[in-house]
Amino acid sequence: MNLQQIIDALELTPLTEAKEFSAFEPSCGYAADLLSCVMSGAARHSIWVTLQAHGNIIAVASLLDLSAIIITEGASPEDATITKANEEGVILLSTKKTTFEIAGKLWELGIRCKSSLE
Amino acid sequence: MNVKELVTLIDGTLLNPSANLMREIRGGCGADLMSDVLASIQPEAVLLTGLCNPQVVRTAQMADVAAIILVRGKVPARETLELAEKEHIALISSPFGMFALCGKLYQAGLPSLERSVNSPACD
Amino acid sequence: MSPVSESQKKPMTDQDAENITRTEELAYELKVEEVMTKDLKTLAPDATMQDALEAFREERISGAPVVAKGKLVGLISMEDLIRCLRLNDLAASISDYMTTNPQSIRSKDPVVEALKQFAATHYGRFPVLDEHDSLVGIITKGDLTRGILAALQHDYHEEEVRRYRASHLFEDIESDRSSLILRYNIKKGDFVLGGAASSKIKRALLRLGATPQIARRAGIAVYEAEMNLIIHTTNGGVIRAEIEPHQIAINAYDDGPGIEDVDLAMRPGFSTADDDVRELGFGAGMGLVNIQRCVDSMRLESIIGKGTNLKMKIFLPNQEVMGEGFGQNKES
Repeated sequence: MNLQQIIDALELTPLTEAKEFSAFEPSCGYAADLLSCVMSGAARHSIWVTLQAHGNIIAVASLLDLSAIIITEGASPEDATITKANEEGVILLSTKKTTFEIAGKLWELGIRCKSSLE
Repeated sequence: MNVKELVTLIDGTLLNPSANLMREIRGGCGADLMSDVLASIQPEAVLLTGLCNPQVVRTAQMADVAAIILVRGKVPARETLELAEKEHIALISSPFGMFALCGKLYQAGLPSLERSVNSPACD
Repeated sequence: MSPVSESQKKPMTDQDAENITRTEELAYELKVEEVMTKDLKTLAPDATMQDALEAFREERISGAPVVAKGKLVGLISMEDLIRCLRLNDLAASISDYMTTNPQSIRSKDPVVEALKQFAATHYGRFPVLDEHDSLVGIITKGDLTRGILAALQHDYHEEEVRRYRASHLFEDIESDRSSLILRYNIKKGDFVLGGAASSKIKRALLRLGATPQIARRAGIAVYEAEMNLIIHTTNGGVIRAEIEPHQIAINAYDDGPGIEDVDLAMRPGFSTADDDVRELGFGAGMGLVNIQRCVDSMRLESIIGKGTNLKMKIFLPNQEVMGEGFGQNKES
């Protein structure tokens, strides 16, 4: 399942500049709002689901080499955050749906979780 | 789904014996930001969270949450456990992460019990 | 009218349903010693089965512990007596017919342990021993049922009485305008205790007869305000809730440091909280927004160096006014 298919299936809105989304194949999913959890738990190339729109999420995603961040509940990052995401090559996607529903739908699409425990 | 069935579904461990196992759960909500939970969660939901401090139980109590699941096998602080025991709110530990738990519960038919933060009132 | 007779007339309510499952909680809370029979008839091992027969008949019991030198040595039951009668052997010693090494239970164990033992065995009673292995009582299935029912009744009655008393407060005390003022001191940085005041206010509102929706709205708003005092103040602050039949007015105030830009503080997502606070799940810049959504009116006043005063009000519509019967009085 590539990122373009996920964007279509979940009706996500890209916030960062357009890319060849079909070239990205998320390895797994991860959901959390605490940056310390993400730092310790999210695997490389994960797709990260959170309602945090705070600027720090870009640094975390870039550091961990995540495929994309889905920001839920229509939370909107500041312009500076989106600019920083474009500079760092982090893909930001937005949805009005909740973390619970988005993670649930990704799970239904067959995306699984890869961490030390699962 | 009631608390007892929930515990089985997620390979969970019920941490406080005072919890009412028959309490019905109407849906789910996954979040680590308590203000967001307070803003959007509807009554009788199960709250999935990676936070383990007593504020999780306080938040649950204020927002009429039916049960709390601590993700990734987290063990709560003693104060958290004592508060859950006192307030009779089920505190469950599950080995799965938030993502997998949302997936499993969503697949089991639980709807999302959060409303858009833009809706006018909080009840 | 007493609250109990009133509740008996009503059909099954949610409150009643909650009481049923409270049984399960009580099974863990109650100790064996609280429900066991303490006034014991014991028998000596060298007494005769004739003595046992007479004791059973006189005391109207169907079994008794057998004790020698203060220690439990066996259990003699009606079944043992019937076996003995069939053999016409009433002159025999009790020690010939009793069950030796009977299964016992500890007085400090929760009642659920006794339930488990009854379920796992076919026995009708267990002797109860204290921590020095001395016999202190006996427990039967009947003791369990009676003990749990009594505790349940007590519990239920207590909360009902509290609720009843509180909900009539505004009717029983007459004045031109009555209000109940609750004050809570909030300590700076006390994350562990954070929310305790909100929890008490929510409970007070429910006891005063507020609807669950009103109690939930007030609870959420006060909780956010309480966390703000804990996170952002210099010396903590005070929460003051003034409850009247038609409105709830809540103030959260402190003596510093004050908010620089009140409009900016009100913007969703704006926060001055540091990363440590964020990792505790707070400081997402949603607190004030949240409060605004839960209350009917809100005013935030702040002076740098002096302090902040957050005033919140919830108005109760006619049919939801606080206090039982108060609304009807007003309308008639």
